[in-house]
Amino acid sequence: MDFDFSDDQDQLRDAVRRWVEKAYTFDRRRSIVADGGFSADGYRELAELGLCGLYIPEDLGGMGMGPVEGMVAMEELGRGIVLEPLPQALIAGAVLSAYAPPSLASHWAPQVARGEKVISLAYQERAGRYRLDARATTASRKGDTWALSGHKSLVVAGDNADAWIVSATIDGKLALFLVERGSQGATTRGYGTIDGACAAELMLHQAPAQRISDDGLAVLGHAVDIGIAATCAEAVGVMDQTLAITVDYMNTRKQFGVVISSFQALKHRVADMKMQLELARSMSYYASLKLHAPAPERRAAMARAKYQLGQSMRFIGQQAVQLHGGIGMTDEYIVSHYFKRLTQMEMVFGDTLHHLGEVSARMQDSAGVFA
Amino acid sequence: MDLAFTPEEQLFRAEVRAWVAANLPSDISRKVFNALHLSRDDMQRWARILGQKGWLGHGWPKEFGGPGWNSVQKHLFEEECALAGAPRVVPFGPVMVAPVIMAFGNAQQQARFLPGIASGEVWWSQGYSEPGSGSDLASLKTRAERRGASYVVNGQKTWTTLGQYGEWIFCLVRTSTEGKPQTGISFLLIDMQSPGVTVRPIRLLDGSVEVNEVFFDNVEVPAENLIGEENQGWTYAKHLLSHERTNIADVNRAKRELERLKRVAKAEGVYEDIRFRDEIAKLEVDVIALEMMVLRVLAGEKSGKQSLDVAGLLKIRGSEIQQRYSELMMLAAGPYALPLIHEAMEAGWQGDAVGALHCAPLASTYLNMRKTTIYGGSNEVQRNIVSQVVLG
Repeated sequence: MDFDFSDDQDQLRDAVRRWVEKAYTFDRRRSIVADGGFSADGYRELAELGLCGLYIPEDLGGMGMGPVEGMVAMEELGRGIVLEPLPQALIAGAVLSAYAPPSLASHWAPQVARGEKVISLAYQERAGRYRLDARATTASRKGDTWALSGHKSLVVAGDNADAWIVSATIDGKLALFLVERGSQGATTRGYGTIDGACAAELMLHQAPAQRISDDGLAVLGHAVDIGIAATCAEAVGVMDQTLAITVDYMNTRKQFGVVISSFQALKHRVADMKMQLELARSMSYYASLKLHAPAPERRAAMARAKYQLGQSMRFIGQQAVQLHGGIGMTDEYIVSHYFKRLTQMEMVFGDTLHHLGEVSARMQDSAGVFA
Repeated sequence: MDLAFTPEEQLFRAEVRAWVAANLPSDISRKVFNALHLSRDDMQRWARILGQKGWLGHGWPKEFGGPGWNSVQKHLFEEECALAGAPRVVPFGPVMVAPVIMAFGNAQQQARFLPGIASGEVWWSQGYSEPGSGSDLASLKTRAERRGASYVVNGQKTWTTLGQYGEWIFCLVRTSTEGKPQTGISFLLIDMQSPGVTVRPIRLLDGSVEVNEVFFDNVEVPAENLIGEENQGWTYAKHLLSHERTNIADVNRAKRELERLKRVAKAEGVYEDIRFRDEIAKLEVDVIALEMMVLRVLAGEKSGKQSLDVAGLLKIRGSEIQQRYSELMMLAAGPYALPLIHEAMEAGWQGDAVGALHCAPLASTYLNMRKTTIYGGSNEVQRNIVSQVVLG
């Protein structure tokens, strides 16, 4: 049992932190939001840092690294509320290299690692909410390939993706496919999301697709769990910075002739925020360290982690705005953007109530980190 | 980063587990699993069994006869004991005063007091709080005046846990009124058989007698019982508080009690009620998150790189969780938590219970557990400390 980071992991953290501080300023972020919430340049810079290929083996052009490196990178991106969706690259890299036929993997994975192609996971459907087994999208065989029909919802950066990993059923059983942008019958309708980033609806009408895996539910479960662990880590970074911003403000802002951090009611709120931050950090570690566990154990761990992170995100986000007072309500001041990012992240890959249901349904007689 | 214990640590755990299984009397563990009343004899019997093995002072270094375990080994030992249904070791001797005697006592004091603590023969109590000094402990007024080779102690301590059994008591006493309140305090060991010591039990809201008032009326204490230097007691007490930081979170007991909560909820038919079940699920996540925090602290103590910077969080969260599981167990019993039959909380009672027998102690435990957010530095005081660290 060991919670120290290796020297290499510390170096990775430093590199990402330096990039966020120097290159991903709040002004730059603001202009990216104004331009639609996704920057191809920004995404390429993530790839130049080696992040897009973190989970892709070296022989496919990636870094061949593990969940702890992913966690470290995501924490630092969270600190700067970076809009470009690294979790999608982590998911695509892992799914393609671990489950796709070799020809498909060797074509796409190196391009994902280099940041030349953006691939986004399209699994949600209007009626499916957070469930993985949404099955209104269907696949039918068309010669050597497949044709997909259906409507996928809330596809992260869906308008900017070069391809999508799409869940669809073959004779009622879930499978995963790759659909390329520009394919006939595949259209998107993009929109902004509350955090300033973007998503899209993906409409498929007999769109040509290549099969990644027949074992759709298992692979999708793994994909979403990578997303959950990454989101938890990102949330820790966002919350850490949110608390730091709030503490700075409280130590500067004066009312009744004194800094507001001298008031006990507000001090205790800060203590409660710190509590939520450390519970969240602990469960983010837990999530990343369980990412390679057998599927049932891994799924249970992600539900527990996302439930804790969801609570922490909501509390810290809300309290950060409250402790700032009126300035926390403005678009101009930075803290509202952190609050919105936290609000968004609570509701991706399953919200807090959803995961409480998962924890509740999976409960065993014993419990604990090692149960 | 690695969540797994090393093969050596797992082997260590297996050894402890086997030893506890072979040596913990089943009549005692049955009481613990069912929250029945533990007598002085129960607690003392287990303490002596541990003492014979050399594990009562399980946190002690080798030079004082302890096993010299690291933080992770200590945790594994405590976890195995808790999950097997062992009573909590009464901490005042082996966990609280012994480290102070080791760090600040002289060789004669170490030779005189440590063996009785290590063997479980001598029952120690803690004399800190006073009627006028709770959270503001440094304002304490119990006076010790030096007269020749003795101190004469006058004053009153309170909330002395299990002091009715105490043979010795370690006290913070005022030896000077000069300067800041903290600078005039000394750390004194007092034989509770001394003339002038009176122990008066305090009946608590659950009917139990767990804490006491201890009065000192011209009690003569040999000066050789002073630990370290006069007026330095506050420093020693702080050392004691910094010791065993994870102990107060008691996450191992929380895991055991969570299992009991599930058993009670199943027996009372509320486990399948989604509203109730979700409350257990929330607690389950709370317990795992607390355990992860504890593990972070332990790993940091082992490696020297601390990953959690505020220990007060463990106390706050651990105590809230203790209250919550006791609350949910009471609520699981529902109306059958209400009858108050003290005899039903004794092992082997053959009378007619109202509702299932396991319901009998639930409300009393709930009432008793309100103490956890008050003692050991109230959670509000802890929040002050946490916020100071965060706000700088």
